[in-house]
Amino acid sequence: MGIAVETAVNQSAIAIAGCGAVCATGLGMEPLQHAVAANASALQRRELVIGKTSQPIVAGFVADEIIGKLRAADAAHADSRAFLFTSAALKEAANNAATILDFVPANRRGFVLSTTKANIEALDKLVRQQPVSAVAQRQIQPAFLAADLAAAFACCGPVQCVSAACISGLSALQQGAALIRRGLADVIFVVGVDVISQFVLSGFNALKSLDPDGCRPFDQARLGLSLGEGAAAIVLAKRELLSSPAILISGAGTSNDANHLTGPSRDGSGLALAIQRALAKAQIAPGQIDYVHAHGTGTPYNDAMESLTLRAVFGDHVPPFSSSKGIFGHTLGTAGVLETALCVAALKNNFLPGTPRLRERDPVAPDSLLVEPREEANLNCILKINCGFGGTNAALVLERELP
Amino acid sequence: MNDLAIHAASYLGPEGFGNDLSGLRAWPSPLKENLSRGELDGLHWSLLSASDPSRFLRMDLMCRLGFMAAELLAVNFDTLTAARREHLGVCVECFTGSLDTDIRFAQTPRPSIFAYTLPSTVIGEICIRHRLKGPVLSLISPDTDGANLLGEAAEWLRAGDAEMVLCLGIEAMNVSTANSISLPENLFPRGWHGAALLLGRPENSPREKTFATGRLLEVCRNLCSVPEHAC
Repeated sequence: MGIAVETAVNQSAIAIAGCGAVCATGLGMEPLQHAVAANASALQRRELVIGKTSQPIVAGFVADEIIGKLRAADAAHADSRAFLFTSAALKEAANNAATILDFVPANRRGFVLSTTKANIEALDKLVRQQPVSAVAQRQIQPAFLAADLAAAFACCGPVQCVSAACISGLSALQQGAALIRRGLADVIFVVGVDVISQFVLSGFNALKSLDPDGCRPFDQARLGLSLGEGAAAIVLAKRELLSSPAILISGAGTSNDANHLTGPSRDGSGLALAIQRALAKAQIAPGQIDYVHAHGTGTPYNDAMESLTLRAVFGDHVPPFSSSKGIFGHTLGTAGVLETALCVAALKNNFLPGTPRLRERDPVAPDSLLVEPREEANLNCILKINCGFGGTNAALVLERELP
Repeated sequence: MNDLAIHAASYLGPEGFGNDLSGLRAWPSPLKENLSRGELDGLHWSLLSASDPSRFLRMDLMCRLGFMAAELLAVNFDTLTAARREHLGVCVECFTGSLDTDIRFAQTPRPSIFAYTLPSTVIGEICIRHRLKGPVLSLISPDTDGANLLGEAAEWLRAGDAEMVLCLGIEAMNVSTANSISLPENLFPRGWHGAALLLGRPENSPREKTFATGRLLEVCRNLCSVPEHAC
């Protein structure tokens, strides 16, 4: 006998109806696109106390002026930056998707949150016996943060929260698409968030993963990553709700390296599996990928592994690829959503992002690494990849429909 | 639709541990004392496995629970070829997630426990031990009984994303840890359990299938309470 679980899987592609972001580049998709077009880094050096000592940290901080503005507009969540950032990104994404959201009832709108640590700042404060509001304390728990956001944005359909290290964002987008395919919702708000906190800084600092001068993805002299913070939102919708040509999520895949908890497999075979799964779902060959947006953290092992993976999957014809973490840092649970939103902008505007802060390309990296951004008239298909602690890997294929 | 089958199930909680073949066994008396504090140590591990406990002892409570729950089912997938283990997915659903370890790390940051401040780390530990490379998913849900997981795993199987899926439902929150920062109990429940279920297609199961519907925790506990060997 078997188990009875009702699912009705529709393999059709899922469309992207709107995007929003707040990160080190500013509030909104526009400043993000300007920074990408200028190949400009928004990383900043600040003197921060980690544990009991003060030290300089280079990271992608959301500007204090933006935080002040968001707090002034929502005093009830003043001590939950995770809520403030996600609300801002969701508002922008919802505005961009307004033409379809007007026709989708609340019970057909679902919500998927991607985060590694939710409102972890409140936990830091509790441990230090500092005052924390009841709301901020509740939002330490990712499921509650997801529920509060879903309620605020009138999403009465399914609500989920994905927390899968640095693949959380791509995994959340995959989950959102799956919920629509299964007929459980017509629209899904996917939002990723993480904030720079004592907790996260202590962890990465203890692991000696941070580059003291700021990350240099795919650089020969790279030393480590730079943390980033912020939120990004993407509204996913049933393809039929949007007019042509839409931008589609046409395939996604995940895998595990089964190798090491905090380091990637040296041969890249785990990430290659995730990419192959995503390509198979999208029913496309490697040669149809026009551009790869890499994870590219700037750690020696990650970038070397990604270079090997790209060669293994694409052979001698690795498409142009780049990393944007030199712009806004590694935003952890936000990364997959933020970087996918950036890829959507690239598809809409026919440009390929560069790799800011790169001085000298690592010879291991394929020649097609993009140092500078450039216009690309024939950009139709993008592969987005992320990897994370626990040996997790994820890949997502974005396609622009032909008119 | 009865196109899917449960291949095996396991459960461990304060009352005992076991799988759907052997049934639930009470913890031996000498080991019960630590359990009230949610502490599983090398002696508990030795009840399940003769292997070196050093890796197990490095883990936090959440990982130990998932690791043990998976170990109770390992006979079902450790004999699979490497190629088939690439198609064995692993997913976890929890409410408390890594919060117990988060609190400990916030109180005393130590590099050795930072990797355990992620609820998905348990998937990595299990994949490393059993060399599983299939798709992965880590959900945090307001329910503590794995309400969504069977539906997610079913979709993977029906869409051909995996041949089998190891579903884990884990809660791990020590009373003393939660109380140390006065987390309200109505929002942050204390307690611990681990449940695992291996879901697949009927043709892939080496033995009689068991029919069940419902939430992961309930299904696993029921299957372990009425073991096949007792029938």
